[in-house]
Amino acid sequence: MSLSCAAGAGLTALRQALEARRTGLRPNDFEPCALTTWIGRVEGVERVELPADLAEFDCRNNRLAELGLQADDFIDRIEALKRRIAPERIACVIGTSTAGIGCTEAAYRELGESQHFDTRFLLPRVHTPHTSSAYVARRLGLQGPVMTISTACSSSAKVFAAAARLIEAGLADAAVVGGVDSLCQSVLYGFHSLELVSERPCRPFDRDRNGLSLGEAAGFAILESDPEQSLGRLAGWGESSDAHHMASPHPEGRGAVAAMRQALGAAGIDPSGIGYINCHGTATAMNDQVEAGAIHRVFGSPPPAASTKGWTGHTLGAAGIVESVFSLLALSDCFLPAGLNLDEPEDGWADFILTESRHEKVAHVLSNSFGFGGSNCSLIFARA
Amino acid sequence: MSFRIDILGVGLAAPGLPDWHHFERVLRGAELDPTAKPAPSSLLSPRERRRAPAAVKLTFPAAEQACTMAGIEPGEPLAIFSSGMGDLDITDYMCRTLADTPDLLSPTRFHNSVHNAASGYWSIGAGATGEVTALSAWRDSAALGLLEGLTRTLTGREPVLVVIYDDHAIGPMQDLWPGDHAFCAALLMARPGRPNAIAQLEMSTCREASRHPDLPAALQARLDDNPAARLLPVLALIAGGIDGEVVLAPERGPALKIGRSR
Repeated sequence: MSLSCAAGAGLTALRQALEARRTGLRPNDFEPCALTTWIGRVEGVERVELPADLAEFDCRNNRLAELGLQADDFIDRIEALKRRIAPERIACVIGTSTAGIGCTEAAYRELGESQHFDTRFLLPRVHTPHTSSAYVARRLGLQGPVMTISTACSSSAKVFAAAARLIEAGLADAAVVGGVDSLCQSVLYGFHSLELVSERPCRPFDRDRNGLSLGEAAGFAILESDPEQSLGRLAGWGESSDAHHMASPHPEGRGAVAAMRQALGAAGIDPSGIGYINCHGTATAMNDQVEAGAIHRVFGSPPPAASTKGWTGHTLGAAGIVESVFSLLALSDCFLPAGLNLDEPEDGWADFILTESRHEKVAHVLSNSFGFGGSNCSLIFARA
Repeated sequence: MSFRIDILGVGLAAPGLPDWHHFERVLRGAELDPTAKPAPSSLLSPRERRRAPAAVKLTFPAAEQACTMAGIEPGEPLAIFSSGMGDLDITDYMCRTLADTPDLLSPTRFHNSVHNAASGYWSIGAGATGEVTALSAWRDSAALGLLEGLTRTLTGREPVLVVIYDDHAIGPMQDLWPGDHAFCAALLMARPGRPNAIAQLEMSTCREASRHPDLPAALQARLDDNPAARLLPVLALIAGGIDGEVVLAPERGPALKIGRSR
């Protein structure tokens, strides 16, 4: 697996950032956005160059994807995988919410009187949600099914379930799953219009939390039913819909409860079998409270938990893969991170959120991802 | 490997192809009347319909028709929405507003700009609390939507509602996404053995180029116009209007070979 986000490019840098509790958030310097906020911008995306034969994919999202693919020897690992499994049997399932919209925004900023895109923006493969899945499949030479899941902030959690089903149905023997989302004006001004963006670094589950910090990330993993070596096992998943509101969670967390229970059922374990929860934990006033309530309903007395968004910001369509990688690291490294910027946890309902990280071996980690449209996905990972 | 899949219901929404009945008539040679518009979905109140994003207005009628034909509550099936470009009307609004007056961006239109807006509103309108997902595969969203429908039907709870749609672009995006007519079709898929199936399809994967038996010119023109309408030959198979095999080949990855088994 590989992950590049604001807290670091590659797993070595990320392990250090987690242990040292070093945030990747910085005061907003993402032009032309003038908002006062903190962002999880990935250093150096602008300087990434795509291979020459893939120039028609050039945009921030795909440069970020390329950065992610170059980390953690991921490209070499795919070459090794392709020596064992035919490329025709390797699927590519990538989650994204922003895709290349940042490039579409730029094209509109430079429309001029003709009302046509300047020729340098005439890149049909960039202005579609499918851009990064198509890019990754081409870049890695994968010839199995290529699909994009775009369900807002649950996108790259759902990729694990979708890829596992492709393998179960016999339509693939392995899959590259992942998520790529990049900073753009749409999400910065969009969440600002909903009054959900904090002026400070986000503070998940803190009494003084007042909104999210936006971030970007690219992460990838290989899913196989019979791997040569394993970083962890996808033990179960649950997917549900709130059927309540486009942008607000169901007040009793109905969909979140259903997703977590379904994942536990699929994994065949009791709630007590979960040793740590990587929460969705966006740090908006309502989301954190609803998620904590849902966790209480499912677990009674919840296991240790935290949100890692204080390191990365909310990476939206990439949040699922970011937090899946962090969950797998928690399992393999026996390290359960406490939340960042959590000075005063809500004492009534967030007492299970870790305020100090623990070195502890756990058997199963649950990762929650909840998105607009009431789209929920919970994943359970087990030790390899 | 080949799989038999029951089709329990179908729906259509496109100018001139507003429902299954109109489609069958055009398939059998009747003229396509481009002024015929889909009847609005009963799942939206008149007020909701006025405010609904374009992708919701486009997809709800077809999705509801498929459920009605099958006699299944719209909230029951798990649902897959697949679209190459999503809501192009909102994309145009978002990018124009961000270029000119970003501080005036509408919060409602922002949360409606997600690719899963149509599927999210569907889950709300239909009361679907199960799995609802939103896919994209650019111009291959019909093939990949169908492949995901097949996968779901084989591996879990069914029936599975597959909704494939693409709108026509407005503004400068027309240079990138040509096409004059919106198109949406919905299929309700199940494992074999349902008494109320309207057709049974034989589906397998292959590595062949797209092909299909001849369609009436008016339908072929829609297929050429809008990538979501690449589903039309499959609908024609289901209607019994063509015989033989349909191959839906994405630019990368396996193609789907589809025939009628009964």
